Amino acid sequence: MALLNFSIPKESRERVYWAWIATAAILFLIGIVGMLKVLIQGLSVTGLHDQVPWGLWITQDLSSIGMGAGAFTLSAIVYLFRIERFKPLARAAVFVGFLGYTSAMIALAMDIGRPDRFWHAVVYWNVHSVLWEVTWCVMLYSTVLVLEFLPILFANSFFERWPWLGKFGHTLHKASPVFAAIGMGLSLLHQSSLGATYGVLSGRAIWFKPSLPVMFILSAVAGGISMTLLLPIIVGKLRNQRVISRELQFEVSRLAGYVLLAYLYLKIWDWAATSYYSHAPGTTEALTRLQATTPYTQTFWWLEIILGGLIPAAILLYRPLRRNDRYVMIALASVVMGVTVNRWNVTLSGLVAPPQWSPGVLRNLIVVSYIPSWTEIAVAVGIIGYALLGFSLGVRYLPIYPEKDLHEEY
Amino acid sequence: MKKQPRDKKAKQPKKENSILSRRDLLQIAGITGAAAVVTQVITSGPLSPDAIQGIERGHGTDSNSEYEWHMGIDLAACIGCQYCLWACQATNDVPSEDMRWNVGFPDRTEGGTDFFITRPCLHCQEAPCVKVCPVGATYIREDGVVIMDYDRCIGCRYCEVACPYDVRRFNWKVSTDDNPYQPTWGVAEVERRVRGVIEKCTFCVHRIDRGLEQGFTPGVDRAATPACVNACPVNARVFGNAKDPESPISKFLKDNETFRLREDFGTEPKVHYVRPDKEA
Repeated sequence: MALLNFSIPKESRERVYWAWIATAAILFLIGIVGMLKVLIQGLSVTGLHDQVPWGLWITQDLSSIGMGAGAFTLSAIVYLFRIERFKPLARAAVFVGFLGYTSAMIALAMDIGRPDRFWHAVVYWNVHSVLWEVTWCVMLYSTVLVLEFLPILFANSFFERWPWLGKFGHTLHKASPVFAAIGMGLSLLHQSSLGATYGVLSGRAIWFKPSLPVMFILSAVAGGISMTLLLPIIVGKLRNQRVISRELQFEVSRLAGYVLLAYLYLKIWDWAATSYYSHAPGTTEALTRLQATTPYTQTFWWLEIILGGLIPAAILLYRPLRRNDRYVMIALASVVMGVTVNRWNVTLSGLVAPPQWSPGVLRNLIVVSYIPSWTEIAVAVGIIGYALLGFSLGVRYLPIYPEKDLHEEY
Repeated sequence: MKKQPRDKKAKQPKKENSILSRRDLLQIAGITGAAAVVTQVITSGPLSPDAIQGIERGHGTDSNSEYEWHMGIDLAACIGCQYCLWACQATNDVPSEDMRWNVGFPDRTEGGTDFFITRPCLHCQEAPCVKVCPVGATYIREDGVVIMDYDRCIGCRYCEVACPYDVRRFNWKVSTDDNPYQPTWGVAEVERRVRGVIEKCTFCVHRIDRGLEQGFTPGVDRAATPACVNACPVNARVFGNAKDPESPISKFLKDNETFRLREDFGTEPKVHYVRPDKEA
């Protein structure tokens, strides 16, 4: 546990902070190099191919949008349901959401073959496509996040030279309840539609189920709240001073625990109904092939259910454990890990064991493989670097966490 | 533990500060309603992009076209020569084997009969790829052919993920290779596709459209028939208008017991196969 005792002595804080910023910037630069390579040479530099056309970057999109779900959840709690005691986390949630959604957009811009045509979904409509709906919702919601984030940005002293910006920010902030309402509507739509992206594909039995959209939104809310809460605890540890109160931390971690429990409940039933109590030929056959050639089953049970679900749920819901910061940090990080692994498993499971269409028997056990290329990994690392850089600078220069000192040392 | 009281007193003063008056709410409701109407007009009404551009984009079920193109493949007759694959690559200018629109490989039935399965795009009437495309770049024509609008495709590859038959190919890089199948197996009749878009079998729709204009009958006259069908030395592939009872495909379907690939998907393919182990 000494590993998690990472408060930094006051005198070396500046040095450590800038060293950290430099590290994040280097990660970001590695990503830029990868992105240039993709833009110049095309997607052939990835490990993707026609049988597995979606991979690491889609996992990153889905995960970072999922981790951004704390924004709509906490905005709704604070500005719609007027539960004021959650307010100290509202700005942080919006900020994390902003970073999550912008990360996803960078990854998407890399992933589509013609980034210059990203606007086509605005002009050419196919209302029958869930991806069309997702595109619209994500675009609109990102706009909402920007409008919610601007007042935080304009609070920086740099913008004091243009006083109208401050006024504009203030006006925007007054409209928070409106943004919260729109944001909740849009998020409820696209967070679940991202699951429906797979859930509506009747040709791939392992995906085709109505539970996917619901599991996606529940896991996104659990993961989003966890991410939003984990960051201020880490910042507090580094500063050796809490940035949010203990009471709020308890309450939010309990909320994360309950949402996680709801997700697990549905997930267990989903597994039981599709693979334990029944024998649906398509699903069974795909799972058999996955089991034979990939660590799908192990990662599903160990990383998604046990480490990413049951253990953190126990910590977050059992009071003596919830009162221990270290356990809570481990639990929240595990939830984030579990949701990310889930997005990977969902995406790859349907692709790696494709449906067999030949009437013969020779190719019945074929699985296709996918290993991300170094360029793909570099871009993914770069996007994480962007988020870390954005967050670390934001925490220092913007009023992300409440102004007033809590004077509560660890 | 002290709990924050959630009483009514805390809510009272809110009313004055509330930024939403009743009039604002009515305005919002009005704007939302108007937006819904506009949305309806733009998506399916006279202002829809398709209507403006005059593109026929049927949704499959209620087609008024007098044509519906189907293909038959007799797996018992097929000798596995692969001419159909090569003719397709030459005609549609697909230089690389990985990008084949029309694929083929040896397989064996449960009873032990060896056969060669070839598979073009099945041109499903309920095509999953058409449903999922976020920009409507892939669509089904009134005559049932599923094709791509390369200028509209954004390269998201959702159609590739949705298609259960692996018929779609993405341009992962700029295609500059020499086409080894030209001119032996045909000449390029369509433009090569750009990097970053999806491509697929079109049932050689350029031949069908031009052929009909010139008075030819697709499936009968070679100039109006898909390259793969023309190339087959044993006439294992048959093509034609299923709405015309005299067409080769209608006769093929009447004379043979046929099946379609994975009918359980509910995709309603328009390519029909004869079992490789049928009684002679």
